[in-house]
Amino acid sequence: MAVTPALTLYILGAGVIAGAFGATLGLGGGIFLVPFLNLALGLPIGAAAAISLITVIATSSSVSAARTGQRLINLRLGMSLEVATAAGSLAGGITAQLLSEDTVRRMFAAVMAIIAVLMLRTLDQRDTFTGTAVDPGLLGGRYDDQQSGGLVTYRVKRLPLALVASFVAGNVSALLGIGGGVIKVPVLNAWCGIPLRAAAATSAFMIGVTATAGAIIYYGNGQIVPALAAAGVLGVQVGSWLGLRIGERASNRALKIFMGIVMLAIAGIMAFRGR
Amino acid sequence: MTTSHSRDQRLERIIGGILRLGVATSSVLLAIGLAWSIRRPASGVAGTLMSAGLLILMATPVTRVAASVVEYAVERDSVFVVLTSIVLLEIVGGVIAALVFHQRL
Repeated sequence: MAVTPALTLYILGAGVIAGAFGATLGLGGGIFLVPFLNLALGLPIGAAAAISLITVIATSSSVSAARTGQRLINLRLGMSLEVATAAGSLAGGITAQLLSEDTVRRMFAAVMAIIAVLMLRTLDQRDTFTGTAVDPGLLGGRYDDQQSGGLVTYRVKRLPLALVASFVAGNVSALLGIGGGVIKVPVLNAWCGIPLRAAAATSAFMIGVTATAGAIIYYGNGQIVPALAAAGVLGVQVGSWLGLRIGERASNRALKIFMGIVMLAIAGIMAFRGR
Repeated sequence: MTTSHSRDQRLERIIGGILRLGVATSSVLLAIGLAWSIRRPASGVAGTLMSAGLLILMATPVTRVAASVVEYAVERDSVFVVLTSIVLLEIVGGVIAALVFHQRL
């Protein structure tokens, strides 16, 4: 595919839109960027996933840099689970080189549909954290919650489950070019005793390393065109910045319903359209 | 407990600095390179700037893992030295896999 100024500008624009929706919905930009690059611009799914992974590294790094100092990111938990996400990512990056274009696209469609359904089912996202731990233990954490106005202390339960979810998230991330937070965060919150905000911040922190482990494979194999990846990164950075500002004012519920339906439609197109 | 907390906060500050520097440097290089490539598509300089930006971006999380290995080693926290070192090795595994697929090995 020829790299023209027009193509880079399309990707820049797509990055802004994907980044804005991703930040507003808390999903990350990859889930929207990959189908656009593949369906609208005709990039092979591997190249689309590769560009998206690079944008995921940038988003994770800038979001986490802004969050350091609030103690929301649980460093010890994050670094423990990274052992599993990076392994999953490595495996996913290798499998991506071996699977056919059609297979990967159908897998993306399936994951996108699942994420859409999960989002529609949890429109009023509740924090299932109920613990009142006194001692956070080796991997737990403690942070000042501005919303409830108190010090929140939690312990980590069911670590093996958290590791399995992290491995799966890493695998899906490298294979499909998404961050994988949509897989980890609900598990960490619902079953491992971690408050939603801490789970989301820790997941976003881990995603940079996870995406890098996968992106390196695509990069080394020559599947990343610098100009297209640069356009994607800059677009998504601008888009998430905008999304975080617009998102606070927009009605989240209506937007989630609308985007959930859009995602199901895109998933359908990706699953059934042979290229 | 208090000391391990203050150490964690120190590591958090170091990591914040690394991430901020990495994203800022790579974004500037990518933006200049991209603008250049749009004005002069055949330019080799633009490609070099963008490749450097992408490499710095990918090196950013790796650097923060490496910094964590050092910090935990200073704290004599052997469990986390091992865990963070495994993560580094997995990333090295990615580099090796890439070279194998590219048939350079």
